Amino acid sequence: MRTGFQEELDRVEGLLQEEGALVLRSLRGAVNAVQENDHELSDEVIAFDDEVDRRYVQIEEGIQLLLARQTPVATDLRLVLAMLHINLHLERMADYCVTIAKLTKLAPEVDPNPRLLEGFEEMGSRAEEMIRVALDSFERRDLAGAESLVDLDELIDRANRRVVEQLLALGAEPELREYGLRMVLVSRALERIGDHAVDIGEQTAYLLTAEFREFTDASHPTPREA
Amino acid sequence: MSQVETMSESPAAPVTIGDVAVQQAPAAEAFDVRGRDVVFDVQDVTVSYDDDPAVSDVSMKIYKNLVTAIIGPSGCGKSTFIRCFNRMNDLIPSARVDGLIDYHGTDLYGSSVDPVEVRMRIGMVFQKPNPFPKSIYDNVAFGPRVLGMKDDLSGRVQRALEQAALWDEVKDRLKRNALSLSGGQQQRLCIARALAVEPEVILMDEPASSLDPIATTRIEDLMHGLKENYTIVIVTHNMQQAARVADMTAFFSVETAADGAARTGILVEYDSTKRIFTQPSDKRTEDYVTGRFG
Amino acid sequence: MKQIAFRGVLLLSLSVALVTLGTLLFTVFQDGWGQLDKTLITGVNSSDPHQAGARPAILATIEMGLLLLAFVVPIGVGTAIYLEEYANKERWYNRLLEINIMNLAAVPSIVYGILGLAFLVRGLGLGRVLLAGAMILTLLVLPTVVIASREALRAVPNSIRQGAYALGATRWQVVWRQVLPAALPGIATGSILALSRAIGETAPLIMIGALTYIAFDPTLLGPFTALPVQIYDWISQSDQDYTLRAAGGIIVLLGILLVLNSVAIFVRNRYQKRW
Repeated sequence: MRTGFQEELDRVEGLLQEEGALVLRSLRGAVNAVQENDHELSDEVIAFDDEVDRRYVQIEEGIQLLLARQTPVATDLRLVLAMLHINLHLERMADYCVTIAKLTKLAPEVDPNPRLLEGFEEMGSRAEEMIRVALDSFERRDLAGAESLVDLDELIDRANRRVVEQLLALGAEPELREYGLRMVLVSRALERIGDHAVDIGEQTAYLLTAEFREFTDASHPTPREA
Repeated sequence: MSQVETMSESPAAPVTIGDVAVQQAPAAEAFDVRGRDVVFDVQDVTVSYDDDPAVSDVSMKIYKNLVTAIIGPSGCGKSTFIRCFNRMNDLIPSARVDGLIDYHGTDLYGSSVDPVEVRMRIGMVFQKPNPFPKSIYDNVAFGPRVLGMKDDLSGRVQRALEQAALWDEVKDRLKRNALSLSGGQQQRLCIARALAVEPEVILMDEPASSLDPIATTRIEDLMHGLKENYTIVIVTHNMQQAARVADMTAFFSVETAADGAARTGILVEYDSTKRIFTQPSDKRTEDYVTGRFG
Repeated sequence: MKQIAFRGVLLLSLSVALVTLGTLLFTVFQDGWGQLDKTLITGVNSSDPHQAGARPAILATIEMGLLLLAFVVPIGVGTAIYLEEYANKERWYNRLLEINIMNLAAVPSIVYGILGLAFLVRGLGLGRVLLAGAMILTLLVLPTVVIASREALRAVPNSIRQGAYALGATRWQVVWRQVLPAALPGIATGSILALSRAIGETAPLIMIGALTYIAFDPTLLGPFTALPVQIYDWISQSDQDYTLRAAGGIIVLLGILLVLNSVAIFVRNRYQKRW
């Protein structure tokens, strides 16, 4: 029943998953660029953002049409609204990847501190994992998976704190200070990517429970009960 | 290590990050009428009853293998207009059709055109299901029989019923009276009846308005499948239905003459359904689809 | 109170009708039942009332009935089809035709008798024959058949016609294959009822010369009589025994009519479920 409608929903969701895959590639590229201080790779990442933006627009249009033409209700409506929000979060993640790439290019040449690079790699891996979990739990409509993102975010936050500590201990020379400044922003960008992944998880939870709910927020540091 | 690939201008070239190439996104239902075949080219058509115009100066093109919906308030001449396409208005003595309806290069109302031939190629389904008081088989076979399509009659009947998504439900009782079917089934029978003569176009005058929501959805799904092989024009007073099923939508409205007495239907806007329901050009269309008219 | 009074009036009317009918039937059966013997049906008329039979009359009535059906159904139904399906009802001549047919249904039967005498018996030179009788009766009931057929055709929903036209049927195909089959029960009922009426007609047949003393079986172009005429003749005799014989004849006539009307009701009921 309503095969056209279902096909269209599936198509937009498919585009969303593709966008997610593109974001993952972008992230991997950005983190590698940081590791190897590879400016050409950074340029690629920056150019690649157009690809994500194109998906973003297509998904926006698709959602607009779904709302205008199919008048979705109940689960369908929640799905469309969830996709609308997830689309935004993915696009923001991709923008952060661009930010990281730009910062890589701007940062001065400095001898790499292996522990620092490990820290970034860890943050990058955590972020990748979170994106995967977020997209996967959305696809499989897995509430537990979505809620597990909060714990993963905790890990990325700790990695972020460790990286910041090391950056603060770099040294006083102007080059090092500039490097530290840029890298703090990179770290923050990675941490924000993790936050957006949690937001995607919240959208999955909304889809499944019809509740508008944040998993955690600043005034309630421990996760709320469902 | 990594290749330098700049983002190319044309959308076809893949972009790489690292060593991995990424495919371009598939386009949404590619929708552009510019390349499509035109089935009907309507030019300044006016239909009058006893010199009273019911619908005036309509110009539009109906495209092949699309679902075109005609929406508008009651009294705007939608049914009158659609009946021009299969010359059913000929049956009303007081009706007169002015203007040109070009069907594949022929004037539909030309003097040498036989209405029977027109109706063979352009079928119609009515608002209230109207099966004949005969068996299911005889209902579907009626068209081919009167038109002389005698070959493989049973095959034709089966194919028509399959296309109308009714075969499985009636294949064991083809000899039963058609009036024993439910309303939704009767309407699908009427669709099968129209399909049996293998028309090019199917006109539907509010085909689901007398049916319950489930039967309605089945008819809508049917249209979705049928448009692959047929061109469908549907009149509906249900806007959401038009939004769901139609590729192109024409909005008709009522225009009152200066003296306030004469009311006639006019075509206000005709565009892709996407535009009509997201960004209509005419304020009257906007008022109608948002429910803020009158 | 008004309800009860109204009901009372209705019951009164009903009882008047029933009592009258009942009395008539009772008297007829009282007189005629004893007269029902083989001779009445198989014998011919005779000067001895106890031997008088009505076979020629019965045969002639039946033959005229069959001829009547053969004539009136095609002509009547054809006219009805023309008026309902083909004619443009706005045109003046069609309206005129319609009014005339309505009027003709109300013309007294004796007028048809005079018409038949003038045009068929004398004008065409047919003479006082069975065929002429059948033709007169045809004209007599033709308006009724046309009207009944028109009603039957009108009762076919227009959506059926629309559906058939939309499939590419010509007007003739629509009428022949959809409208007429659907209207057939109504047409059949109307025809049979017309037949019943015609069978009971006496005046026009007398006008065109149905003889009252016939001792041979009727032929198409020969002298003839009919059951109502025969009954009328017997009643007019001074001999009371003939009157009793007439009562027997009446019962036979009623029997024929009962059979015909039952067929009409059966046909109507059988096909009513359609819609």
